[in-house]
Amino acid sequence: MFCDGFGMSEVSPLQQSAPWVRLETTDADWDAADPGLLATMFAELVLIRSFEEFVLQLAGEGLIHGPAHSSIGQEGGAVGSALPLVTQDTVNGTHRGHHQFLAKVLTHLAPGGIDPTQPVSPEIREALLRTLAEICGLDRGWSHGRGGSMHLRWDEAGAIGTNAIVGGGVPLAAGSAWAHRHAGTDNVAVTYFGDGASNIGSTLETFNLAAAWRLPLCFFIENNRYAVSTNVSEVTAEDRLSARGPGFGIPSWQVDGMDPLAVYLAMQQALEYMRAGKGATLIEADVYRYFHQNGPFPGSAFRYRTKEEEAQWRARDPIDRVAGHLVRRGILSEDAITEAIDRSRALMAEIGEVLLEPVPDGKPGERRIRPSEWPDPGFVDTGIRGDLSEFDGVRTVDRDTFTGAVQEMKFIDAVAAVMGRRMELDSSVVVLGEDIHRLSGGTNGATKGLKDAHPDRILGTPISENAFTGLAGGMAMDGRFRPVVEFMYADFMWVAADQLFNQIGKARHMFGGDHPVPVVLRSKVAMGTGYGSQHSMDPAGVFSTSAGWRIVAPSTPFDYVGLMNAALTCQDPVLVLEHVDLYASSGEGPVDDYDYCLPVGKAAVRRQGADVTVLTYLAMTSYVLEAAEQVADHIDAEVIDLRWLDRASIDWDTIEASIRKTNNVLIAEQGALGTGYGGWLADEIQRRYFDWLDQPVQRVTGGMASPSISKVLERAAFARAEEAVAGLEAMGVGTDA
Amino acid sequence: MPELLRMPEVAAGATSALLSSWSVPVDAEYASGSVIAVIETDKAVVDMEAEAPGRILRTLVAEGTEVAVGDPIAVTAAPGEQVDDLDAAVAALGAASTAAPAAPASEPDVSPSPAAPAGSGTPAPPTAAAGSGRIFISPIARKRANEAGIDVTAIVGTGPNGRIRRRDVEAAIAAGGTRPAASPSAPAATATPSATEPGFVDIPHTRLRRAIATRLTESVTTAPHFYVKGSARVDRLMELRAEINAGEDVKVSVNDLLVKAMARAHSLVPAMNVIWTEDHVRQFSGVDIAIAVATDTGLVTPVLRGVEALSVTQIARASRDLAERARSGQLRQHELEGGTTSISNLGMYGTEEFTAIINPPHSSILAVGAARPEPVVVGDSIVPATVLRVILSVDHRPVDGAIAAQWMREFTVLLESPGRILA
Ligand SMILES: Cc1ncc(C[n+]2csc(CCOP(=O)(O)OP(=O)(O)O)c2C)c(N)n1
Ligand SMILES: [Mg+2]
Repeated sequence: MFCDGFGMSEVSPLQQSAPWVRLETTDADWDAADPGLLATMFAELVLIRSFEEFVLQLAGEGLIHGPAHSSIGQEGGAVGSALPLVTQDTVNGTHRGHHQFLAKVLTHLAPGGIDPTQPVSPEIREALLRTLAEICGLDRGWSHGRGGSMHLRWDEAGAIGTNAIVGGGVPLAAGSAWAHRHAGTDNVAVTYFGDGASNIGSTLETFNLAAAWRLPLCFFIENNRYAVSTNVSEVTAEDRLSARGPGFGIPSWQVDGMDPLAVYLAMQQALEYMRAGKGATLIEADVYRYFHQNGPFPGSAFRYRTKEEEAQWRARDPIDRVAGHLVRRGILSEDAITEAIDRSRALMAEIGEVLLEPVPDGKPGERRIRPSEWPDPGFVDTGIRGDLSEFDGVRTVDRDTFTGAVQEMKFIDAVAAVMGRRMELDSSVVVLGEDIHRLSGGTNGATKGLKDAHPDRILGTPISENAFTGLAGGMAMDGRFRPVVEFMYADFMWVAADQLFNQIGKARHMFGGDHPVPVVLRSKVAMGTGYGSQHSMDPAGVFSTSAGWRIVAPSTPFDYVGLMNAALTCQDPVLVLEHVDLYASSGEGPVDDYDYCLPVGKAAVRRQGADVTVLTYLAMTSYVLEAAEQVADHIDAEVIDLRWLDRASIDWDTIEASIRKTNNVLIAEQGALGTGYGGWLADEIQRRYFDWLDQPVQRVTGGMASPSISKVLERAAFARAEEAVAGLEAMGVGTDA
Repeated sequence: MPELLRMPEVAAGATSALLSSWSVPVDAEYASGSVIAVIETDKAVVDMEAEAPGRILRTLVAEGTEVAVGDPIAVTAAPGEQVDDLDAAVAALGAASTAAPAAPASEPDVSPSPAAPAGSGTPAPPTAAAGSGRIFISPIARKRANEAGIDVTAIVGTGPNGRIRRRDVEAAIAAGGTRPAASPSAPAATATPSATEPGFVDIPHTRLRRAIATRLTESVTTAPHFYVKGSARVDRLMELRAEINAGEDVKVSVNDLLVKAMARAHSLVPAMNVIWTEDHVRQFSGVDIAIAVATDTGLVTPVLRGVEALSVTQIARASRDLAERARSGQLRQHELEGGTTSISNLGMYGTEEFTAIINPPHSSILAVGAARPEPVVVGDSIVPATVLRVILSVDHRPVDGAIAAQWMREFTVLLESPGRILA
């Protein structure tokens, strides 16, 4: 106890509000367990073990491209936890996810259990085959071989995708859990990850978020004591990782993962809590991988642990344990056990034959992938984004075809009005972000009035961009809700970069091209507000490097409404750029029609001109127009407001027509050069239209560094009308140049 | 030591040529004299031969690139020579800058100025090496100039670094100064219709088409032409030809006999065997005659050399060879150069007579029509005869009318007494 120095103070121990317990089975548990449950548990363990042994065998033959992260030794955690789940419950996992994926798939395909004395059903054989094909990178796989070992996904089975970013899948699972809860079901999500992943921000942020929002999410830690070669005790002061749960208000269980029944029972308790709507849970299963991080060699071969330690863990093998009880209770004979293991191995060998063939003229036993199993290389870029068929039949108008009444209105009112309209008509639309539920519509009034109208769908988040962005990504992949994320400042995208770019931006393509991720991200540019270096970026340039994202940049209230509606219709992730200068501005907007979409991929020619094509967007549009008027007596500039900025949606027709006319191009944007948008565009223009150019594509951008706080330095750091004038003059076009 | 292979000056005065293809792969050894690249000039496809055995370490220009004469096109080394750091070797040879685009000037220190918008990072433009002869011209300006047949060397560029811009070309077109007089219309002055508009198709210019346009435009604008007509009875010539061909496996054409007759006439009137140059009238001793050959892609004029010393069968064999290689695009550049006169024969089309434009730097060209039966007055009677009509176009700068008339007399007499052609 603390004593000297502060002897006057009274110190009393505090208790966390959430319980932290260790669950161990007793003989009575094993005796009471349903014979069918134990037989199924055994059957799943054996199938997964045989599968993993076969994968390692192929890896040894050089037939697996990339790492094969073996789960051999730690199957008990996955099987024990997946058995009490129903199909609609969802799971995701990590790079070491074969066992998690298969356990969920097997339980889905055989809800009544698996008889280990019988051959598996054709459905199970097919699932094993497709999983193996995916791991080998073959067309027959769940994602046509795009995802491979670390990205196993079969939504139908509730397996929503394993992840190669340590901790990366955790926020996504929270999105699934959110959808379960808000769709009024009692389903749960389980996210599996390792001891190493327990230290990364996305995991810890999600602990907090899921607990705060009482999401039915089980954090399932497979504590196998190592992250590659680093021991858990080296990287955390509390290596009983379940200790973390109560700190976040999450009831937590520690359990011996080598005992599948113990895991099963802990999971049952966690499920009871979650299905009752009480919130998140955490289970730490102590497990052990017999092999190294990947490949067919034991960890001891790499010197970070001993053979003795490995032998001790192997002596506690989960299959042996379940088999022992089955024999002891007379449910299965020793022979039946052996036969089941042999049958399972034979099944894998037979499945392997489907995918493999002897190497022609090769050494004896040498095998290769059957050539017909590979995906077509032409498939390489298919399905990065959707085909926009969701716009079929959708009402699309532009300003010139809009027949409704228009009025002069404040930009920010259009922002709130269109979102209000969508939320009113579409109960799946959910907005989340920091402080959006207070301050009369968040920091800028963008959600004004919406919290009162839709209290459950305007979600003020904890300050954890990575977690809530990932949560939105998970909601979008789930599909029952349409998340709209608001970033208070665009610079915060770096904090959420994993979820934005590794997860949301890549998911559709990575999982085979068919699973959409319809997230809308609203992000404001705040250049000029004095918020300095870390609050003043224009994110368009960075987002345009990510092939999965579409980007819209409305510069008028009318366009905002149409582009937001298009973004909310689109099945792809869409970044909707906003700008503080625009919020305060006024312009033409609809009086009462907030239901139209602007056409996808259509720019707007804001000013016709003959001398130079200026390509611009967002708030810079009005600055460029101002500049064009200033130089109008000698330079006739054509100003194009791009509106759709990403590579897939940009309006080449309009750009090309203008360049053919003017032969001179200026790309004008406000922000810093390094993260600037125009680089890729200039590159593409010079390659497409080289013969039409009268000079290199020119650019107006901000400075090198991000804008500073000091007003004069800030002004010197970004571009507005003055810089646009200088840029136009420098081109030497027009009549007196 | 690795060495730079440079674009040779395949045609006199050529400033650039097209690297059409590489004939040996990188790192493959070649022998001295083997073809390592194919180079295309205005009129010919030239095989570039290795001067010494070696191998290409790296090509510096891609196939299909127009390269200024003298610019490096590849780095080569002796067979078996070990080059450890090729990049360093290339840099040491000073070739990097031609292989890669000029690097931008150092990171701009942002100080707003009207000419350089804050932070736009405008790189300093590369400057042309003085006297390098390179013309800086924007892509659209080059395109417009080509369409209008404008000679860009005569235009002063007003863009940065003297770059010729669209406006400069348009000004030149408007001024009409460098526009060829023979140009039937001014295509670039009106909007160029796009290829997708109905009613016509735009056939892009081939290099040959452009070359023809440029050279013949130059001819009519710089060489004052005058024309001398002549006709001859060629019944005896035809008989002679039949006689010659009876015994030979190489068939001699009427044209071959005409070429030989031209050479004889040139020898008899040496004042016709000349060309015009800036400072002199250059008179030749031997007679080199270009033969116009129509090919699928356009007119080509390979040159037969020393015709005065050739027999008609030699002429026949040589001109057959030239014509065939002209049609398959296999002529060497030197075979297209030289000569003082040309012959253009449209007789096979039945053309009665026509005038031709002189091929620079020649001083004349003979346009030959069809040999046709005509009534001819002999003494007091009209007799049927085979008559050939020719028109000689002559450059008045080196040659006066009387000389041309003298030549025409010699030539027609030769045709009517064909034995003298062979003498
Ligand atoms: C963000 C991130 N950092 C590092 C890695 C590389 N990496 C892959 S697996 C791994 C170890 C993970 O350990 P743990 O979470 O304990 O899972 P285990 O491998 O033990 O199942 C590491 C460092 C990664 N994939 N993602
Ligand atoms: Mg681990």
